[in-house]
Amino acid sequence: MSHYEAPIREPLVLGDKSYHDITEDIAKPIEGKANKNWYMAFYISLAAMLWGFGCIFYTVGTGIGVWGLSKNIGWAWDITNFVWWVGIGHAGTLISAVLLLFRQKWRMAINRSAEAMTIFAVFQAGLFPIIHMGRPWNAYWVLPLPNQFGSLWVNFNSPLLWDVFAISTYLSVSLVFWWTGLLPDFAMIRDRAVKPFQKKIYALLSFGWSGRAKDWQRFEEVSLVLAGLATPLVLSVHTIVSMDFATSINPGWHSTIFPPYFVAGAIFSGFAMVQTLLGIMRKVTNMEEYITRLHVEYMNIVIILTGGIVAVAYATEFFIAWYTGSPYENYTYLSVGAATGPYWWAFWSLLIFNIFIPQLLWFKKIRRSFIWSFIISIAINIGMWFERFDIIAIVLSKGHLPSTWWRFEPTFVDVGIFIGTIGFFFVLFLLYARTFPVIAQAEVKTILKSSGEFYKKRRAQGIPTKPTVVVADKEIKEVNPDKNKKE
Amino acid sequence: MASNKKYWKSVEELTDSSIVETLSKNEFVEEIPTDKFLGDKQTLENSSTSRRDFLKYVGFTTAAASLAACEGPVRKSIPYVVKPNDIIAGVADWYATSMADGYDFANVLVKTREGRPIQIMPNKDANGTTTARVQAAILSLYDEKLRLKEPTKAGEVISWADADQEIGAKLLSLSNQNKPVVLLTGTLASPSTDKIISEFTNAYPNIKHVVYDAVSEAGATEAMMAMYGKRALPNYHLNKAKTIVSFGADFLADFHGGFEKSYVAGRKPETGHMSYHVQFESNMSLTGANADKRVVLKPSDQVFALLNLYNEITGSNVSSKATPVDADVKKMASELKKNGSKSVVLTGLNDKNAQLVAFAINEALNSEIIDVNNTLNIRQGNDAEVAQLISDMKSGKVAGLLTHNVDPMYTLANVADFTEGFSKLELSVALSTENNATADASNYALPTPHFLESWGDTQFDSITYGLMQPTIQPLFNTRQLQDTLLKWSGNSTKYYDYLKSFAADSILEGGSWNTALHNGFFTRSLGEQDTFESSVSLADAASQLSSSAKKASGFELNLYTTTGLGDGKQANNPWLQEFPDPITRASWDNYLTMSIADAKELGFSNPVKDNGAINGDYAKISLNGKEVVVPVMVQPGQAKGSFGLALGYGKTFGLKEEMQVGVNAYPFYANNNNVQYGVAIEKVSGTHEFACTQVQKTIAGRHDILKVTSLKEYKNVDPKDHHHGWNKPAYVSYDHQEVEANTIDLWDEHNREIGHHFNLSIDLTSCTGCGACVVACHAENNVPVVGKKEVRVGRDMHWLRIDRYYSSTVETREDAKELGLSRGEMYEALETEAENPEVTFQPMMCQHCNHAPCETVCPVAATTHGRQGQNQMTYNRCVGTRYCANNCPYRVRRFNWFEYANNNEFDFNMNNEYGKMVLNPDVVVRGRGVMEKCSMCIQMTQATILKAKKEGRAVNTDEFETACSSACTTGSLVFGDVNNKEDKVTALAEDKRAYNVLDYLQTKPNVIYQVKIKNTNEA
Repeated sequence: MSHYEAPIREPLVLGDKSYHDITEDIAKPIEGKANKNWYMAFYISLAAMLWGFGCIFYTVGTGIGVWGLSKNIGWAWDITNFVWWVGIGHAGTLISAVLLLFRQKWRMAINRSAEAMTIFAVFQAGLFPIIHMGRPWNAYWVLPLPNQFGSLWVNFNSPLLWDVFAISTYLSVSLVFWWTGLLPDFAMIRDRAVKPFQKKIYALLSFGWSGRAKDWQRFEEVSLVLAGLATPLVLSVHTIVSMDFATSINPGWHSTIFPPYFVAGAIFSGFAMVQTLLGIMRKVTNMEEYITRLHVEYMNIVIILTGGIVAVAYATEFFIAWYTGSPYENYTYLSVGAATGPYWWAFWSLLIFNIFIPQLLWFKKIRRSFIWSFIISIAINIGMWFERFDIIAIVLSKGHLPSTWWRFEPTFVDVGIFIGTIGFFFVLFLLYARTFPVIAQAEVKTILKSSGEFYKKRRAQGIPTKPTVVVADKEIKEVNPDKNKKE
Repeated sequence: MASNKKYWKSVEELTDSSIVETLSKNEFVEEIPTDKFLGDKQTLENSSTSRRDFLKYVGFTTAAASLAACEGPVRKSIPYVVKPNDIIAGVADWYATSMADGYDFANVLVKTREGRPIQIMPNKDANGTTTARVQAAILSLYDEKLRLKEPTKAGEVISWADADQEIGAKLLSLSNQNKPVVLLTGTLASPSTDKIISEFTNAYPNIKHVVYDAVSEAGATEAMMAMYGKRALPNYHLNKAKTIVSFGADFLADFHGGFEKSYVAGRKPETGHMSYHVQFESNMSLTGANADKRVVLKPSDQVFALLNLYNEITGSNVSSKATPVDADVKKMASELKKNGSKSVVLTGLNDKNAQLVAFAINEALNSEIIDVNNTLNIRQGNDAEVAQLISDMKSGKVAGLLTHNVDPMYTLANVADFTEGFSKLELSVALSTENNATADASNYALPTPHFLESWGDTQFDSITYGLMQPTIQPLFNTRQLQDTLLKWSGNSTKYYDYLKSFAADSILEGGSWNTALHNGFFTRSLGEQDTFESSVSLADAASQLSSSAKKASGFELNLYTTTGLGDGKQANNPWLQEFPDPITRASWDNYLTMSIADAKELGFSNPVKDNGAINGDYAKISLNGKEVVVPVMVQPGQAKGSFGLALGYGKTFGLKEEMQVGVNAYPFYANNNNVQYGVAIEKVSGTHEFACTQVQKTIAGRHDILKVTSLKEYKNVDPKDHHHGWNKPAYVSYDHQEVEANTIDLWDEHNREIGHHFNLSIDLTSCTGCGACVVACHAENNVPVVGKKEVRVGRDMHWLRIDRYYSSTVETREDAKELGLSRGEMYEALETEAENPEVTFQPMMCQHCNHAPCETVCPVAATTHGRQGQNQMTYNRCVGTRYCANNCPYRVRRFNWFEYANNNEFDFNMNNEYGKMVLNPDVVVRGRGVMEKCSMCIQMTQATILKAKKEGRAVNTDEFETACSSACTTGSLVFGDVNNKEDKVTALAEDKRAYNVLDYLQTKPNVIYQVKIKNTNEA
């Protein structure tokens, strides 16, 4: 299985792991008991989630008027949050599908959690288009369902309808992809489970995985096919989300560069969220040896790239708004009007968090620092939220007719629902971290011998990489002085 | 559950079992095994309901009950058992009648549906016009909160018979003792009522009739009396005028009842006749906003400017003083002289001397515009008699007071004196429609019907005799003033019969009563005019005027009435409270208007808050020992050193809490003078929350939204001229060529060859911004009222709004570049209103785009394009994503943020049974969570089509109408079918003035605007 890998490449698995060590490491959070920190995090998230649900019920029961919207600003935090969560959901597919096709092995340590994040983020995103409706109980009308209302049918011209298809396709493909990858890992947990109930559950979840060669062959084939299917989705979902704006006629929304710019922004924000989550998770679940500096650096490189695309897009938007000379472009979200207008703080937040701070990643020291990566990832998460807020609120606040210029101020319900989705997201993620194998251990095992630190070192030292027996392994350990050295 | 009874279903079953057997064979294939269940006695006796069964039953019944409860509430509509002859369900009946509430007077048509009046429209045959207040009066009819419902004595309900007996006895005894009694009414303008009152005062010689107008124009009537021997207001035929000079006369609003129709008739650029109108004023009034030239001048200087003009015109040399605008005055003097009889001077100062000077100028000019023969009777208040009454009451000389539809306890400046005198009365009777403070304080409060429930006649000018007829059975136990007075005079005739014979005898000149009633009016001949030798000394008048103005000190307060509330009679009317002021665009408030310069000096500002709303600081103003704390609205165009404050607000008695807004300015209305000198002001702490529907005041350099040009350019310049054109189309680049935007198209055109294709033309030259259309739309389309809090955060529901733009300090980007402003400074300059700005009004409603941006984005196709050009909204289908509103460049879509009907949080007319009677049954009341907007009154156009179809004819030329177009006094809004070449709108759509707002977007609206032409001579 193990391919040759140049010794100058850094190892992807640290320490002298055996296959069994990997199994043990991955199974530990599931089989062990949760610590205090987990419970604290869980209860805080749960409280936030319940508060958010309360706000949602209040909205649905009373009317959208409990939000801060007005006749001139029909969307604000609702669609901001929607696009933000969808964007976050982008990294998962990119990591699992695109990187799989490009045979990037570093994805194996992070793809499981990235995909989980994707799915949970899309759950949050999917909430908003429904609850932002004036009559959410009729939300199913946006589906092209055969009905008896007469000749009623959906409007295929509407980007919102495209959203419905894009998001639901994305969610279902991501879910299938994720689950397929999970099958051997669930089976592993099943096989180790001692409690009958647990065994039963994991047996169900693993869909009867038996580990035969045929299973593995099909597994590989399905993964490849799904990766092929999912790759266009990486581009399509946010392209379509961007069309909510790009196909409209509002100055600042009506912009042909939106699709590529939004896709880049989505990957940018998605990777930032992966950084945030994994930064915490590698500590909490003791995965430091699987999620290494190298992983962090690679992700930071993706962030620099996509962040660069986003920066160029901003510059283009700013330039074109000025270059048109049209008085209607005076106040688009990237313009002098926005920078000096009532939303100056949102304008500058966008630039600082999204453009200026990520530039620090050009420095290798910062790029390879866990704590800096974590801090910058948080900044990008904030910046990307502001990007969507600026696009929606600033543009709508200065419409075509000056008589309709207005401002938006969120109410406690707007804030509550947003916090609620963050809580909901973390509730799901924390439950996931305790019940799912958080690293694709079956896949990681495939690269252990090619990319594992121990084996690479042995190869470099010219020692045969095939340990014959465990006893021999022990002997080697003794000659390996780095074994217990911590970084 | 044990039982051994025998059950039977019919007598046959009991007596003749053979039939039962046959039948049962036919009915059921199998025997019902009743024996099995009931036959075995032992099993039955032993059986019991187990816990499990019990739970099952409970579960089932609970589920069934809750499912049954899920059914929507059923509302029963009961059809007529015996159909009234003149009512066909679903078909509107129109009645011609007149409105006369003491302040607003109009010849109107009333639309009734199933016996309920639901809309007021102008009676155009009678040359009638409506304002926002007249339109909204329909809702005041259904004001269950404020209206008096039963006759009461000291708050206790009393029968009419008892009330008549008690009051009659008291009146008789007072008469016998010859103790003075006063009948205090507002202006009635009713010949028959005048006759009844004179008969009443003849029967009781101790009773005197005093007329009291809350907002007085007695200065003009006194001046008319002195100069022409008539207690009436002069009429102005502004349509014939070439030059109009007004010193603070708000003649497009409430000055002498308003002259906007004749004013606009004299301003038609296409006919070549356009008057030149200069307004000298302190407050930014509707009239000033429409003027060709507006000169800012505080009230005391207005007096001197008027006198200076008098001196210039007549060559006399009365005492005056230099003003900062004497150059303008001089220029106007020569302009006036040049146009001679075609020019007119008006003044809004409620001062006999000022009016006399204006009359004298008009005499000197030999003005044909002012008409002192066919005069107006709509302000008959006699300030001197009212003042005398109060002092008499105070000294106990008056024994009885009968009031009719006046509320001196709210509207008098010296309420304390009145109240003191009131307590000394032996008899006080209020005949009132509303339960106001005066009615509450009176011994007897006798409800009178609303004018829509009354008979009556009116005489607003000297030739138009109007009739008033009931359009609904009285809602409450009311009786008209006339019936009451007839009864008390001992006349047993019903007022209806009295009126009929009065009209036949004295008015109709042999004409038919039925025809007159059907038409709602009868045109009388003017008759011989008596010659009158005036003995008035103009020099005296001028010197008195000048000396009183020279006393001016401190800040000057100019009291005015707003378009929405007028004198405050309809303060409990939610439509009028929510109606945004045409100038400030504030609703639910009055405020102290202050010039930008004064605001800067005194430290007042109107910051825009993060939720989009405007706040204001409080000022304490004091005058003659009276003071009030009032929020300040910084008003561009306000004269420095003067403030404006609207009357009619701050009424509290009997009003719903939501309507108790603003401050009462009547205490400052000393001597009924709308100008008060020597006002002190002080900034006090606190922040006031305004509810404005528009925050940005200028057009921000986007001049293709609002096109304005001068008469000269209109005449001489090609509208499409590339450089100087005043109606340039939008250009786009296509194949590297600059082409007109409308020559390329992304979409397929709708097929418009067959059927109707509706267009609405809006002439910005004719639109005065009066807002009658806004209220008409409210009434026609069941537009909800949302209240101050919601308006404040930008959620007013008006389908039709009138945007008001001020000119800015720098008008165009090019100017800004020339001035060398940086981009940030340029934006600021474009966004900041000038100190004395030009004002433009732009009615804005759904533009019914043929390529509607809203239609493509709705995911459920709830908004679609109609065959007749309308952009249609299907409420049932709407899920409320609001995408359409975001994509509407005109922002005319309105979202139902809450349930606005039947919701105690929105306790307005749609939350009570009376208020709901005003709803138009042809238009659905929208539920929460759906989008709504202007429908181009599709219910009206469909009704027109159906009517024509039933009558087997084509739709007539100009037969189509919308609520806004029929309410429009000046003819600015013209609606019609462009597929009918004869329709007025067809030509307008092709006019060289026609343009579409935001035509660069190529939304191809069916609403067309006509470029505003101003007669700016200087330009």
